Amino acid sequence: MVPQREIYWNIPGHVLLYLIFAVSVLFFCRGVYQYYKRLQVGRPAGRKERPGERMRGVLSQVFGHGRILRDYYPGIMHFILFWGFVIMTFGTAMVALEADLGLPVMRGAFYLWLSLFLDVAGLAAIIAIAVFWFRRYVQRPDRLDTVADDGYSLLLIMFILVTGFLLEAFRIVATADPWAAWTPVGLVLSYLFAGLGVEDLKIFHRITWWVHLFSAMGFFAYIPYSKLSHIFLMPINIYFRSLEPKGTLQPINFEDEEQESFGVANVEEFTWKQLLDTEACTRCGRCQDNCPAYLSKKPLSPKGMTQDIKSHYRVKAPLLLAARGGANAEGDKSRQEAAATGETAAAVMEQSLIGDVISEEAIWACTTCRSCQEQCPAMVEHIDKIIDLRRNLVLMESRFPSEMQLAFRNMENNGNPWGVGWAKRADWAQDLGVPTMAEIGQADLLFWPGCAGAFDDRNKKVAVAVVKILQSAGINFAILGTEEKCCGDSARRLGNEYLFQSLAQENIETMKGYGVTKIVTTCPHCLNTMAKDYPQFGGHFEVIHHTQLILELVRQGKIKPARFLDSAVTYHDSCYLGRYNDIYLAPRELVKAIPGVTLKEMERREERSFCCGAGGGRMWLEEHGEEKMYVMRTEQALSTGAAVVATACPFCLTMMVDGLKFKEQEGVQAMDLAELIAQSIA
Amino acid sequence: MKIVVCLKQTFDTEAKIQLDPSGKISNENVQYIINPYDEFAVEEALRIKERLGQGEVVAVSIGGAKTEEALRQALAMGADRAVLLQDAAFEGGDWHTAAVILAQAIRGMEFDLILGGQVAIDDGAAQVTTRLAEILDLPQVNVVTKLDVDGRKVVAQREGDGATEVVEVALPAVITAQKGLNEPRYPTLKGIMQAKKKELKILGMADLGLDPTSVGSAGARTRVQSYALPPARKEGKIIGGELPGTAAELVRLLREEAKVI
Amino acid sequence: MTGGVWIFAEQRDGQLRKVTYELLAAGRRFADATGQELAAVLLGSGMAGLTGEIAQYGVDKVYMADHQDLGTYSTDGYTTVLAEAIQRYQPSALFLGHTAIGKDLAPRVAERMKTGLCTDCTAVDIQEGRFVFTRPIYAGKAFAKVECPTARPVMATIRPNVLGAGQPTGNRNPQVIPLAVNLGPNSIRTLVREMVKKAGGRVELTEADIIVSGGRGMKDPANFKLLEDLADVLGAAVGASRAAVDAGWREHQYQVGQTGKTVSPTLYIACGISGAIQHLAGMSSSKCIVAINKDPEANIFKVADYGIVDDLFRVLPVLTEEFKRMLA
Repeated sequence: MVPQREIYWNIPGHVLLYLIFAVSVLFFCRGVYQYYKRLQVGRPAGRKERPGERMRGVLSQVFGHGRILRDYYPGIMHFILFWGFVIMTFGTAMVALEADLGLPVMRGAFYLWLSLFLDVAGLAAIIAIAVFWFRRYVQRPDRLDTVADDGYSLLLIMFILVTGFLLEAFRIVATADPWAAWTPVGLVLSYLFAGLGVEDLKIFHRITWWVHLFSAMGFFAYIPYSKLSHIFLMPINIYFRSLEPKGTLQPINFEDEEQESFGVANVEEFTWKQLLDTEACTRCGRCQDNCPAYLSKKPLSPKGMTQDIKSHYRVKAPLLLAARGGANAEGDKSRQEAAATGETAAAVMEQSLIGDVISEEAIWACTTCRSCQEQCPAMVEHIDKIIDLRRNLVLMESRFPSEMQLAFRNMENNGNPWGVGWAKRADWAQDLGVPTMAEIGQADLLFWPGCAGAFDDRNKKVAVAVVKILQSAGINFAILGTEEKCCGDSARRLGNEYLFQSLAQENIETMKGYGVTKIVTTCPHCLNTMAKDYPQFGGHFEVIHHTQLILELVRQGKIKPARFLDSAVTYHDSCYLGRYNDIYLAPRELVKAIPGVTLKEMERREERSFCCGAGGGRMWLEEHGEEKMYVMRTEQALSTGAAVVATACPFCLTMMVDGLKFKEQEGVQAMDLAELIAQSIA
Repeated sequence: MKIVVCLKQTFDTEAKIQLDPSGKISNENVQYIINPYDEFAVEEALRIKERLGQGEVVAVSIGGAKTEEALRQALAMGADRAVLLQDAAFEGGDWHTAAVILAQAIRGMEFDLILGGQVAIDDGAAQVTTRLAEILDLPQVNVVTKLDVDGRKVVAQREGDGATEVVEVALPAVITAQKGLNEPRYPTLKGIMQAKKKELKILGMADLGLDPTSVGSAGARTRVQSYALPPARKEGKIIGGELPGTAAELVRLLREEAKVI
Repeated sequence: MTGGVWIFAEQRDGQLRKVTYELLAAGRRFADATGQELAAVLLGSGMAGLTGEIAQYGVDKVYMADHQDLGTYSTDGYTTVLAEAIQRYQPSALFLGHTAIGKDLAPRVAERMKTGLCTDCTAVDIQEGRFVFTRPIYAGKAFAKVECPTARPVMATIRPNVLGAGQPTGNRNPQVIPLAVNLGPNSIRTLVREMVKKAGGRVELTEADIIVSGGRGMKDPANFKLLEDLADVLGAAVGASRAAVDAGWREHQYQVGQTGKTVSPTLYIACGISGAIQHLAGMSSSKCIVAINKDPEANIFKVADYGIVDDLFRVLPVLTEEFKRMLA
């Protein structure tokens, strides 16, 4: 006998299934359409180029779970649940093939193996759901906020799985299934019902079948109306992810005289993709777990922000659509909902994102460290939203912490945020024999020390170390000297796009004038800005970080770190070097290139590195509150027991130096990698 | 309330001061800003206008073409219109002639209040607004750190030596701003855009009906003989020795050498 | 003798200002060098004893307006009386101290007389019988030598402490000439409603002439008492570096630096401050910087005009005593 089972055994009237299915699909589509319609309030976003690459990304994230698995515990559980569902859906599809298309697939060895797979998948899914339940309701990690929907969704899935197994068990007993060993979970369960009569079993089976069917169809219909919506929203959001270099911000076209509003203050000023982001967020809280602002008790949580925008958007979007296109049902409903919460529709329409939805403190708290975006499984882009809000505050309202004005003015008047006289910019290089471009006209390589390397006494030492290394490797290089200006990173990330563009254009012009093609810089912020922001304004340069260049020189044997440094070193990843530019390896290789040095890694490193607190222009802002990011990061570095905290970013170095002083750790030093190498070749 | 703000464009505070071959202060490679004290005055004028909900703020300056930038900045901050007093005949003038020119320009305007900075950071003279008040026969309150407009009078807090005075004066009057009066705003982009379209009138000798002998070097009451740079900043002096000698020496140096006590 | 050199003898509450003595002593030299008489002009109310005191300074004349309307300084009242006196007695030069009153009064009088004025002078030379004034410009980054070729009187306000100590130069039994005070009912257009002496409360950081500031080297919030004691003696404000604020020893409003207050006092005394750029950005435009730090390598010494390398807990009490003795 060929192994098989009778489809729809014991289910007269199963054709009703199609009707129920149709209703469920209808509800599902209606729900999905609402998402689509709401998105129409957003501004255009593009994001349609390179569909193949987009799709490949979706498939790898959905089936491979790359992002989700970065957090092992919930990641693996979700992976199991996901694949359990994939297998079960496949099984259901096979049943449909047999039942509806008459293809004889559910038989023979295939049937048996599939049955086994389905049973194992179902059991695994049950375990995953149980673990999720345990995590959410017993362990209660900080990053999870729990609402009723979370419970319903888990219960519903659990219910479908359990009824499925019950169904199987009833059928096994009632039909004395000879292949029951291939459905072990059903078999074990069936022993519970061994004593029942066949007729009773058939009644139980029939009832369970319908209950199972209704819950499964209900589940399908419920998807768009619940957190389960992530099942389709996440792949869609991943599809429309940014394919531009990490951290790319959209420039404002100041030439456009039509444009009267800059940045974002109202939810409809976001692009539809930014709005889709908020819908795709499923509150997993990975962002929050890795947000230095949140962890240092600032009033910012990337998750909270995304969710707050979503809640506001969901109420306001139908109202906007109603206002734009006359009355509609959702508009009425939204108005009712709004009225129910004690707010009138008019009040919602009046609400600004800034202040009413997201506090200004939260907007300024972000260091743009990109940790949230790096972790988000839905590939939500938080930072460009923050910057859009900042742009509005700076360009439209001129409302920001007062320290910022000083930094802006200094950048305007003296081309550096500290406001040191611009004529002193090349003073650090006096007596070093470093030519300026103006003096020699051209060079193979432009060394860009940045404002910190040029003005800050601590970081001047780093610039000097780099010069020493380049000179001993015989590199033909020059600096811009007093012609160099702040790269504009801080201005841009603080929302002052106007100032940024004027700085960028001046620098681009200067460099083009000298035919500069290749730049090495000690500052990851300059690196990121010149490599990714400048091309938007016609400045195409090859920009490398000094750690990359130095590593290359070591590998080529042009410099030889020979002096033994008996020291344990920990390396602090700069956000703009690591997460923004994926330069994780070169600095570590450099540490290892020094004889005698042992590298002691911090727990938070590479993609999960913890920001020093100075990114996103926060270098120029006071960090208020008890907990300081720089102190937290210093503590993390100290816990490795290392004697040297190595950095590769001037802001990080400043923060680590301050942190070590704060912790009164006179025995531990913060040093740039270039200094370590320079010591070792000396 | 119609407010006239007198402002001056100065070198940036960090500007490197050098002499040109003719021995004058070189203006090569120098970044310009609005004299910070005048910027307090602009800000205060805007705040008064905003508080009252009505009025006009007119920024007035004497200078060359470059001074337009300073006036545009005042317009970007929110001033309604600007007047640039520009004429080759103004060259070589002093604080007296500056006051004469300003007075002539302002006399033709309607105003309730004239604001300016208490001092300009370039020449540090602190004369022009007071001279202007004298020419226009207006009362003055200098070095003001707080200003309240109360109907047709203002109440100003002014810094005296060792005491703060609360001074009341009827309008129209001349008030000069001291640091602490306010924190000037950073112009919004909208402001910058609008500033490009706002009225900036350029007036010269003829427009003002000035007598050539009253301005420029002909009208000046003072004459600069020469400029000099201070000797290069000495290395900081580390006071050697032991207490209490070091402390006593420090006090002596502060008094006799640095002359700051 | 023609014209005469006049010194505006500024007094407050019946007390002559220190700069007045300096001016009187130097005025004698100027008068002799230019072959003129020296006169003091004294405006105020109830100043009975002052003429005698002024007489010790070698003046030939004292012009005095003692009137109740001049009891409180007013621009209008003082300008009118002084200008009328100038009109009548035609001095060739008038010097005032560069004080709050001098700064307010001199330009007004100068404009009324349509004459030249050099403010904030740090040196006075006499070339061929003419006064040439040196005045700092660009916050002391350059100096200008200025003269007043033809207009008279030549006027100048002189910065306190630059002319040397004001020692008495002998009594010439000056003639005291009363000045007429004819102020109409509404001729003083400003009304001083109240005077708040700056005795108790400390000066605001950004407005302070002297700032005493502490950093991480202060070690403990209680130690800021040492800075406050010094500040009390100097009438200074007390600031702090970011390190001290981050440590919770001082409130943020007292923070000097990039992310705190930007200050440019005449004298900045940095105690236990290493001198990170973020701090320097907020105070490096101070005229005179003193650093007290036990680490000779501290960055702050690079910008300091005077430094003491020593334990600040030992230095501060002694320094406070020294200042107290000097200012007594």
